[in-house]
Amino acid sequence: MSAFMNPEQAVADRSAPTAQPRQRASDIRARGEPFTWALGGALGVGCLMIIGFLLMVFWNGVGTFVPKPIAVVTTTGGEITAGEATRTELYRPTPEVVAALSEAARQTIADRDGFAERTLYRIGNFDFYSEDFRWVSAFDVIDVKYPKDIVLVERTEWGPFIGHIESIAVDGEVIALDSVHDPRFAEAHAQARARWSQIQDIERHQIGAVNYRINQQRLTLRRIELKDGRDSQAYSETKRAADAETAELQSEYERLTEQAQALRQRNAGMTVTLEELGGREKTIGIDEIVRTYPANDLSSSEKISIYLSRWWEFLSDEPREANTEGGVMPAIFGTFAMTLLMVIAVAPFGVVTALYLREYATQGRLVAFVRISVNNLAGVPSIVYGVFGLGFFAYVLGGSIDQLFYPERLPNPTFGTGGLLWSALTLALLTVPVVIVATEEALSAVPRSMREGSLACGASKWQTIKYIVLPRALPGIMTGIILAMARGAGEVAPLMLVGVVKLAPELPVDGLFPYIHLERSFMHLGFHIYDVGFQSRNSEAGKPMVFVTTLLLIGLIFVMNISAIVVRNRLKKKFVGSQF
Amino acid sequence: MSDAVTQIENGGGNTPKGAPVRRRSMKTSRSVILADKAADWLIRIGGIGVIIAVIGIMVFLAQVVVPLFTGGTLEQHITFTKDTRDARALTDLIDDYRTITVTIEADGQVKVYHIATGTALRSPDFEFDGAVPTAFNRSISGGDVAFGFADGTLRLGQLKISVSIVDASALPADVQTLGETADKTDGNAVFTPIPGGQFRRLAVETVLRDPQQIAPQGTAIMAIDYRLGGTVERPTSSVITVDATGIARLSRTETRTNMMTGKERTTVRSTELAALPQGTVVLDVLMTSKADQVYVAAVDGTVYRYDTRNFNAPQLAETIDLSPDQATLSVLRFLIGEQSLVAGRSDGTVDIYFRLPRDGAVTTDGFELVRAKRLEPHRAGVVAIDVSQRGKMFATADADGAVWLRHGTSEQVLLRMASASGSAHYEAIALAPRENAVIAMGTDGVVEAWNVSVPHPETTLKTIFGKVWYEGYPEPGYTWQSSSGTDAFEPKLSLIPLIFGTIKATVYSMLFAVPIALSAAIFTSEFVHPRVRSVVKPTMEMMASLPSVVLGFIAALILAPLVETWIAAVMLAFFIIPTGILFAAYAWQLLPNVVQLKYGGAPRFTLMIAVLLVFAILTYLAGPKLEAVFFAGDFKAWANGTAGSGVPFTALLLMPLAFGAIWLITERIAGTSLATAMRTDHRFRAAAIDMGRWVVSLIASGVLALLIASLLSLAHFDIRGGVIDTYVQRNTMIVGFAMGFAVIPIIYTIAEDALNAVPEHLRAASLGCGATAWQTAINVILPTAMSGVFAAIMVGMGRAVGETMIVVMAAGNTPILDWNVFEGLRALSANIAVELPEAVKDGTLYRMLFLAALTLFVITFAVNTLAELVRQRFRKRAASL
Repeated sequence: MSAFMNPEQAVADRSAPTAQPRQRASDIRARGEPFTWALGGALGVGCLMIIGFLLMVFWNGVGTFVPKPIAVVTTTGGEITAGEATRTELYRPTPEVVAALSEAARQTIADRDGFAERTLYRIGNFDFYSEDFRWVSAFDVIDVKYPKDIVLVERTEWGPFIGHIESIAVDGEVIALDSVHDPRFAEAHAQARARWSQIQDIERHQIGAVNYRINQQRLTLRRIELKDGRDSQAYSETKRAADAETAELQSEYERLTEQAQALRQRNAGMTVTLEELGGREKTIGIDEIVRTYPANDLSSSEKISIYLSRWWEFLSDEPREANTEGGVMPAIFGTFAMTLLMVIAVAPFGVVTALYLREYATQGRLVAFVRISVNNLAGVPSIVYGVFGLGFFAYVLGGSIDQLFYPERLPNPTFGTGGLLWSALTLALLTVPVVIVATEEALSAVPRSMREGSLACGASKWQTIKYIVLPRALPGIMTGIILAMARGAGEVAPLMLVGVVKLAPELPVDGLFPYIHLERSFMHLGFHIYDVGFQSRNSEAGKPMVFVTTLLLIGLIFVMNISAIVVRNRLKKKFVGSQF
Repeated sequence: MSDAVTQIENGGGNTPKGAPVRRRSMKTSRSVILADKAADWLIRIGGIGVIIAVIGIMVFLAQVVVPLFTGGTLEQHITFTKDTRDARALTDLIDDYRTITVTIEADGQVKVYHIATGTALRSPDFEFDGAVPTAFNRSISGGDVAFGFADGTLRLGQLKISVSIVDASALPADVQTLGETADKTDGNAVFTPIPGGQFRRLAVETVLRDPQQIAPQGTAIMAIDYRLGGTVERPTSSVITVDATGIARLSRTETRTNMMTGKERTTVRSTELAALPQGTVVLDVLMTSKADQVYVAAVDGTVYRYDTRNFNAPQLAETIDLSPDQATLSVLRFLIGEQSLVAGRSDGTVDIYFRLPRDGAVTTDGFELVRAKRLEPHRAGVVAIDVSQRGKMFATADADGAVWLRHGTSEQVLLRMASASGSAHYEAIALAPRENAVIAMGTDGVVEAWNVSVPHPETTLKTIFGKVWYEGYPEPGYTWQSSSGTDAFEPKLSLIPLIFGTIKATVYSMLFAVPIALSAAIFTSEFVHPRVRSVVKPTMEMMASLPSVVLGFIAALILAPLVETWIAAVMLAFFIIPTGILFAAYAWQLLPNVVQLKYGGAPRFTLMIAVLLVFAILTYLAGPKLEAVFFAGDFKAWANGTAGSGVPFTALLLMPLAFGAIWLITERIAGTSLATAMRTDHRFRAAAIDMGRWVVSLIASGVLALLIASLLSLAHFDIRGGVIDTYVQRNTMIVGFAMGFAVIPIIYTIAEDALNAVPEHLRAASLGCGATAWQTAINVILPTAMSGVFAAIMVGMGRAVGETMIVVMAAGNTPILDWNVFEGLRALSANIAVELPEAVKDGTLYRMLFLAALTLFVITFAVNTLAELVRQRFRKRAASL
């Protein structure tokens, strides 16, 4: 009823403006400042989350390969710990530990509300200590030194060694080393490593190739046997040929083995004796040493060179030590090969489907339904595609392929188990909605007038699509495909079911016929993260590796995403002038 | 385009040569038509193909799942009549390949028949020198047999079906082909061709040991059971016998091999159990492999359970009547694993009993036999039961000649088989070791054999989605435990704990993600300069492209230990940081209007982030002090309920409610005067009043909340024990955080797009009418975009439901039904990822995991379809505005 104020009152109100301060129609609360801040705070939280996350990954990933100084810590028990300080944190010592401490140390802990500081040292020498890492509490530390003569030795087995190099033996002759920089060591190391890589080459590649060919002979024979039977003419002929060939290969095999054995023999004479700080010694072959450096006596340029050589090793080498050391080259290769195959599969199908939906199908209820379904498929969990891939591609399709084309290998599956091809197809299925949606959007952005113009000029439907519609939709399509690649490269869950393995002995592409082996299982950066972080003996030892791999994977995906944006912008510019 | 033109020009082949005027042909070139047709077809086929593929996924998953629910099928029914018939059949066995059946007759004769043809084969008999056994029993696998005699002696033995592979050349010379089959026989053994040109030889061997005098001379042994146990190094065998005077004797033989000399030393010990009441007619006696439990069953249904763990002092632990009514007990058997007993009675009922520890049990050992399941009864009395050697399946036969194949876990009748004659009386039935055949010996010498296929007996809709009473469990429940090393293990395949895990992960991560994502979206769309937006939005979207394996790794290996150390600070941050932000907002209001306007854009947002950081650091620093106040100085002990009181934290949780209540009350009482006071010219005064009111309300709400919490604690309410309970390092809170990274950007982007799509004229109109930006956002923009925002939440939820790597890595994977935030979970997706690589193709677990995948598919499909429909509606509405 207040809306119907009596006129006199209204006049009275208006006539006495000077009597009291002017009032606003709304108070300060209408601006909702606190609410706005709450909203802004939420956005801030989101931004902080992502920035913090990226910074952490970047910091840890980039810092992993920096050679760190080795601290020699003496603790109250008289124990000496030598290692790289990996991180320092606050923790709560148990009451029993606290009770055993000195008065002053107890006071410090009490002042920090029961928290004490401790540092995690990477002590290496797993063969001596049976642990890679050791926590040292700050209250236990008496003394920290950084002696110049201590070296870090990266080995192919047992992880890093920290201590001194006592002596080396070259062909039985013992040479005591007085300095870390002794050139005789470097020379012997270079020789032994060169032979070592030669042995690797012979054993991994040359003997591998011979074995492969012997196996091929066996399979050829088996195929003939299955086809024509054991008593047939063809079988006996093939058998003769195969036997001759196999005998030849066998002698080749023996020759190579001898060659490797000879090299091995020479390397066996070259050993190095290492001594850890406790005085225990160990003699290993020089060729088992990957790299060694005096951690506390490095110039900046040496540090940079070690840093770069570690990166190079990471990018170009194969993993060792249950994937926690060495490189990730097979995983990088696997990720690329799988993504590439996926694009080859997804691009035509995605584009064709979008063309059908947008240009050919009669727009009606059915197409609307299909469109909703396609949109929804983008939201179907990736693991479901993995299950489908395993059940349908690997077991049903692959099983049939094995029956038809590889009967000689049964019961060992060829395509009838997870592999590169099935992984790529599974991920193609997973990403096809992304491409369809992007392409459809791009197609719908091409003005109708252009199509009509083309058709009016007498072009056929396909000509219109080919020369008018597709070129203009290309930026959108490319974006869709690149985004699909980014999604595919980061996906791990389905791959765990359809062909990714922690360690693949052979790359899917090699020099042996048929050169591309689509049935092989492969390594993947994402799965490498899961495997090293979760399945390895010591997740702490694998952490640096995981961070670098993470950095690499995120980098890869961001590069793809950014290139999607760049491609889109560039192609947009190219066609912007031709817009009607 | 020039291409097309050229094609058309060249295509016209009928232009007259040298014509001065070039006339264009109106006829379309053949190649163009062909290309067009081809493209048309290709695109249609391709498009439709992809769409079919999409539907195919669902169909394929469903097709793999379906066999889980199709009980069993009868493949073949064979009937033959025994050629000779001397004595009653004591028991019956089938070999692994359902090729032959072996019958032990009451006089010790062993009869072997080739099932497919009914041909009798020669076999070695058990020679009792004319004595007729008064008691007989065999182990579940059938290999170990024991006979008791009227003179009180006992003879142990073995009946082995030996399997060997022989080359075709090694076949005996006189083999003959058996009937229509490919099997051959030499009269003693059966040779079945197998791939590779070889034959599988099946033959029966018997071993009979010397008699042992167990009961006093001349006292007949009425019932017997015989078990082999122990280890390979120290095998033990135990025999329980009940004699005609009602005395049960347990004897245990232990063989030890001396490590030094290699000599074997066998010790035999015997003990007598408490005597049965006079006049008890013993039906059967059962014993576990460890010989720590003995069950003596009387025909009237009374079962005497002896606790023989202490061999020297066995005790009658429990006496229970399994047949309280008129009916008599006809068969009592262990199911494999010896955890459950199946009892068949003369009225056709079939019950399953579990031995369970019970509080307040009247028995001496605290265990009781509990009737766990009553299965579908036969129409006539049960006459025989045989149990499977590899699972909880068993076959029951009734007096009408019906043989039913049943399963102990799923309680279902898998197959109902009738005799060929319509009614028969069976002496013995046998279930094949691979659960693929049942054979029944009729009293009239007719043998009925059914070849069956029951691939997934343990699954029904009820076992997957309902409560099931598993062996050794105190009550029916939902459990997921798919595999273990032994055959005796009962697979527990309830999807409910996994679905629950998925829901739990989704709910908690949405609780974390939705407020942040929506607030951020509203702020970005309504309160931020487009330039800031063009930076902030891609940043948030970048989060969406982070691979989930990376999120999982960071969450599990970095975040989880960190949060564990600072859990108190993290918990309190949820309260301190919002309070800090609000405090800063009220402080900001105190600034002069000019300043507020000048720095209202990016600087204000920067300030917000700074405030966030400052309060985060404050929380970190004050963490231990506050932990002492709220969590008795030790969060984990507090969460366990072992230390401190729940009152302070309950009060903290109640504070938002109390604040709301106080806010409303002050609004009611002094709302008008407050509003008048704030409409003064002095902005500073108004802001100060506003802030003062907030601070006072905050303090008052704290007091009120504390009061309510104390009252609640008087009423014995404790916040701990439900949502807050024992802390585990990899828990749902960590999953929620990590999932936030995956879900926030999705919700944020879609919601922001929806808010942004609200037509500009609505915004302009609202602002033009004098509404503030806040009023416009809340009263105009948000309601208009509501359906789009809802769709955003749904899409985010779809992602959370299906997220795999984060839950695999950060959730601990414990399949429990528990809302505790600090406990882990096992989601459907994680379960698939963990178990499918090890599942055998087409096995029950394989199909169960496909069902899990189908469930996920259906859930996300439904959620996304809903979101899509809502979004399309929103689009239409937005377009019409």
